Amino acid sequence: MMKPQEFTESRHNFEECTKCTVCTAYCPVLQVNPLYPGPKQAGPDGERLRLKDPYFFNYALKYCLNCKRCEVACPSEVNVADLIQSARIRYDKSPTKLRDRILASTDLMGTLARPVAPIVNGVTSLGITKTAMDAFLKIDRQRTFPTYSMQSFEHWLHRRRKEQAAFPEQVAYFHGCYVNYNYPQLGKDLVKVLNALGVGVQLLEKEKCCGIALITNGLSAQATRQARHNVAALGKAVDAGLKVVTTSSTCTLTLRDEYPGVLQVDNSAVRDSILMATRFIFEKLEKGATLRFRPDFHKKIAYHTPCHLEKLGWGIFSERLLRMIPGVEFVMLDSACCGIAGTYGFKKENYQASQEIGAALFDQIKAVNPDLVACDCETCKWQIEMSTGYPVANPISILAEALE
Amino acid sequence: MNPNEFDVIIIGGGITGAGTQRDCAMRGLRTLLIERSDIATGATGRNHGLLHSGARYAVNDPESAAECIRENMTLRRIASHCIDECDGLFITLPEDDLGYQQTFVSACQQAGINAEIIDPDLARRLEPSVNPTLIGAVKVPDCSVDPFRLCAANMLDAKLRGGQVRLHTEVTGFIREGNTLKGVHTVQRQSGETADYYAPLIVNAGGIWGQHIAELAGVRIGMFPAKGSLLIFAHRVNNRVINRCRKPANADILVPGDTVCVIGTTSTRIPFEECDNVAVTPDEVTMLITEGAKLAPSLLSTRILRAYAGVRPLVSADDDPSGRNISRGIVCLDHEERDGLKGLITITGGKLTSYRLMAEIATDAVCRKLGVEKACETAVTPLPGSEERSYEEVAQRIWESPTTAQKAAASRMGTRASRIRSGDRHDEALICECEEVSVGEINAAIDRLDVSTLTDLRRRTRVGMGPCQGEFCACRAAGLLAKAHGCIEKERNDIAQFMQERWKGNFPIGWGDTLREAEYTQWVYKHVLGL
Amino acid sequence: MRYDTVIIGGGLAGLAAGISLQKEGRSCAIVSTGQNALHFFSGTFESIQEPDQRILDLFNGAGIHVHYKKGVRLMPLGSFRESGLSLEDVSLFPTPKIGRKVLIVNFTGYHDFFSAFLAEGLEKQGMECRIRFLNLPEFANFSAMRSVQIARKMDIAWEKVVQEVRLLIKDEDTVVLPQVFGLRETAVVSRIRQGIPAQVVFAGTMPPSVPGIRTQMQLKQRFEVLGGTYLMGDRVLKAHVHDGVVHSIVTKNLDQHYLEADSFILATGGFFSKGLKSNPFQVSEPIFGLDVEYALDRNQWYNPSFAADQPYMAYGVKTDAQLKALRQGESLKNLYAIGSILGQSHPELGSGAGLAIRSAFAAADDILSTPSV
Repeated sequence: MMKPQEFTESRHNFEECTKCTVCTAYCPVLQVNPLYPGPKQAGPDGERLRLKDPYFFNYALKYCLNCKRCEVACPSEVNVADLIQSARIRYDKSPTKLRDRILASTDLMGTLARPVAPIVNGVTSLGITKTAMDAFLKIDRQRTFPTYSMQSFEHWLHRRRKEQAAFPEQVAYFHGCYVNYNYPQLGKDLVKVLNALGVGVQLLEKEKCCGIALITNGLSAQATRQARHNVAALGKAVDAGLKVVTTSSTCTLTLRDEYPGVLQVDNSAVRDSILMATRFIFEKLEKGATLRFRPDFHKKIAYHTPCHLEKLGWGIFSERLLRMIPGVEFVMLDSACCGIAGTYGFKKENYQASQEIGAALFDQIKAVNPDLVACDCETCKWQIEMSTGYPVANPISILAEALE
Repeated sequence: MNPNEFDVIIIGGGITGAGTQRDCAMRGLRTLLIERSDIATGATGRNHGLLHSGARYAVNDPESAAECIRENMTLRRIASHCIDECDGLFITLPEDDLGYQQTFVSACQQAGINAEIIDPDLARRLEPSVNPTLIGAVKVPDCSVDPFRLCAANMLDAKLRGGQVRLHTEVTGFIREGNTLKGVHTVQRQSGETADYYAPLIVNAGGIWGQHIAELAGVRIGMFPAKGSLLIFAHRVNNRVINRCRKPANADILVPGDTVCVIGTTSTRIPFEECDNVAVTPDEVTMLITEGAKLAPSLLSTRILRAYAGVRPLVSADDDPSGRNISRGIVCLDHEERDGLKGLITITGGKLTSYRLMAEIATDAVCRKLGVEKACETAVTPLPGSEERSYEEVAQRIWESPTTAQKAAASRMGTRASRIRSGDRHDEALICECEEVSVGEINAAIDRLDVSTLTDLRRRTRVGMGPCQGEFCACRAAGLLAKAHGCIEKERNDIAQFMQERWKGNFPIGWGDTLREAEYTQWVYKHVLGL
Repeated sequence: MRYDTVIIGGGLAGLAAGISLQKEGRSCAIVSTGQNALHFFSGTFESIQEPDQRILDLFNGAGIHVHYKKGVRLMPLGSFRESGLSLEDVSLFPTPKIGRKVLIVNFTGYHDFFSAFLAEGLEKQGMECRIRFLNLPEFANFSAMRSVQIARKMDIAWEKVVQEVRLLIKDEDTVVLPQVFGLRETAVVSRIRQGIPAQVVFAGTMPPSVPGIRTQMQLKQRFEVLGGTYLMGDRVLKAHVHDGVVHSIVTKNLDQHYLEADSFILATGGFFSKGLKSNPFQVSEPIFGLDVEYALDRNQWYNPSFAADQPYMAYGVKTDAQLKALRQGESLKNLYAIGSILGQSHPELGSGAGLAIRSAFAAADDILSTPSV
């Protein structure tokens, strides 16, 4: 038992909230959805009532984007969004809709769609399909579905495992569903950049979707299973002395922070070894490694910091790398949510809110009129491309393209 | 008929006075209740908020114990919206004598209290916050009760039956003819206006201040003030009352109440002069936390919201002026029989749990004197708001898909929540964000519950009772009060007094997050708002 | 990552120091645990009466319009306070007589602007007041009327207010509006003034403060334009100190990626922002374990009167004359403490905003007096 000398401060994170209300000024949803009670009410304020009686749980918590901007803004370090997502896991007993299951099952969908990718891509882009999905699944017809690739990234890298193993230094790559099924090129770009630094890339023994879409769609049991699986798989790589790099800010945040903070899955053995590739590369360059860039690469690049990268606090690495490329005219966009938030913006009921949230960012991009928007998140990419028409690329892809 | 004439005047707006007024009103009497401050400002509002099962008294005072369990069961029926039927545990810790458990359980059974020995493992499951080193546990039907709500509901019922209430009104003297009291002189403390009220019977229900009232009438009661200090924690650590299964001692009850929980108490005799201004000392704070942590260790790492102290009105038996022989039972003094003074009855002693019975005893005495024969019905007629037992059903019936604030309103107001004006979205806006109190709920309280200050409003709605302690809601609520009362100047002072009253309970525990909050509040009020 | 100076704390003090250093070509990083006290800013920089040119340059450089005139300003609950250097939102008057006849305009359902209190306060000064409420369709789908939400709409729809107020004005020469204009579109404040044919006075609201958030954004932007790095939402966990010299700090987000610098500035504020920590037995500085000036007897931390000055608010870390922080009586060679974490140990620097800016300048000057490595 603690001695009286030890009763220092509350160990309940929500009690650190001083009700200063700063979080509400930075919540993108509060601004556009009157049904959402806002981060303070949904988070620390609501927590006290829920502890009194779970009956006080409010189903409107599902409107939280989980963008974590409340947490970044909070002067008291309250994990506001974690409180909200945890409350949803504990108290939301409503069944998950078929639509949400489909949206959440990113790796299952990828596995099914990949072998017949051209057909799927063709079908999902058809007007009639969109109308049907809109009507029956409430997936907004104005959304463009990500296309699927014929060959998975895993397959591609697996065939090059020997060549990769030859590099003197090795990292493991948590590629995520998007790289694996939709856009293997990003993974190939990463391999190119890392190889140029003398680093070979390995797959994890078997990775599963990080589970963020499952968490936000109320499928926490499955998310927890996948989290345990991934922590074990990451553990093997870390035990072998490898760092694990990623190219998606959301996967990274999920692996590092959502596992312990929301799913209560202990990742302490692997957490510090999981790094965005941008941070890994920056740290290598800082220690003396060099990259040689093409002299003819000239681009005006506007950089958008994805919400989850903002929360990680690692936007600086992407910024530094892009600024390092000669011939890049770098413009930092105001840090603001683009509105997509993973599967959130795909839902018909959220479409309008999603676009309203992103409006200021879209306007700024149009005003800057860059050659390219850079951003470390795949769903931001879809949203910005759909909403502005400007092409969006991951900083890793830009580095790869600029390499000599 | 003179509007200042009544059948009975009740002095004291605590739970005894409010309960007595309700009972008298239900028997058809014209009643007036006079309170020098607000409702529940004495011992009523300054205790644990524990609705005893009686178990605590079973070993030493079987009569009180039996009284408690009867009243406990009655109040669950008639005051459901004020009561949380949470049950309680009496735990035995390694340093306690486990042998006492059997004595305790038999005494409970004798008194009619359903005390059940349960496995320590089950106790840990039922109440995860409980000290895991416990070696024994007994489950008892303790409840928690919101004394402010209970008091307001009794008074409201009296008013709905024609009773009148004068709050912030002090009795300055009695109107007497020979050996008969005819009425009271009063002064309204806010306006300074004086008024006389007349009735053939006056009930002194002034709690510890009843001694002073008796003195005004020229009679003496042997009362002894005992200070009890308590701490409120910022959230509900426990969902069941936790007691120590041993001889009652300091800080051995932890009671969950609404969104918080309360540990207490201490017991120190104090002089009468200190009754109006009791304060919690740092030593008491340390003792309460240290002892409290033995019930629930996580109290050590939970934010403390406030420290407060109340004064128990202990009454010495009439044959023992020394005060050594204190009775905790109900004392009803007919001053005509006792002192030859007609027209005055004192009702005192007892406890929050037995208030209804006290009111019944006092009202029976009143009715005997007035020749009224109607029987007491307070044990069967629900209080306004308590007509339905589940606030979930109430909220669902009124709003279909209620918001959190509407659910919270239903939990506070019971069926009276239907009186909250809705339809206008502005009525749904929150004033108090910590406790989810809306504009509509505040206006409903102002309309019906005799609110004159922010502190009054707090007692009726929980505005300002959450972690921010009025930081955001005080000014918002003051705006609504100013609109209702039309007096801005008064409201500005009211904000200052309200914040002072909040600070009084904060500084004794001013460290950690509480101090952070306090600094922020200072900043907002002094530098931003310029109060 | 290596910088010339790393500043811990991104409020007014930290930003003023960062801008001063960055302007002289020193590279700075600011680490800020979330947003800061500028979000609760009244619009008037406390304890800065006659501003010197350097202070004016700080604000002008960031595009922040400030002004000063001896006299008084109107407070949100209708009282008057001594004036000080203020944002353009805040009107300053020689006496509490702000006009002849006053129209106070509030929004329906908005409880964070105290129009009735303002009216009463102004009437007490002999002015005739009328309160009117606007019910704008722009706010129709708000769950609650809060200042920042209103301000975001007002950035786009401010002209609506101008039109409505023009219709409401009768013979009033002064209009009082809430401080909910110009959150991002800073020009809105002056456009409102130009559009309304009367003197416009903006009165404060419950926090978060719209002019405060704007000021924070402008200062931060200025710092970044000068090349500074602002790390938002990160917390310093510990520092590496050897022989009285701070070598690097460790943050929560950057973990093993230490932030190294020649000099460090501690601008973490008081208790609210966790610059100081307290438990029942002591007050401490959590990052470096600096010496703190406070009363050992906890009873002396507080004044039981809410209205009185609170002793605990004067507590702060000890420094030498150059504002270098003391640890066990010795000053750390390259760590400066600035802003409200100083408590009232340097009364000559003023309090609040005045202390923040003056101590920031003093620390920056001392750093600049040693050549960059």
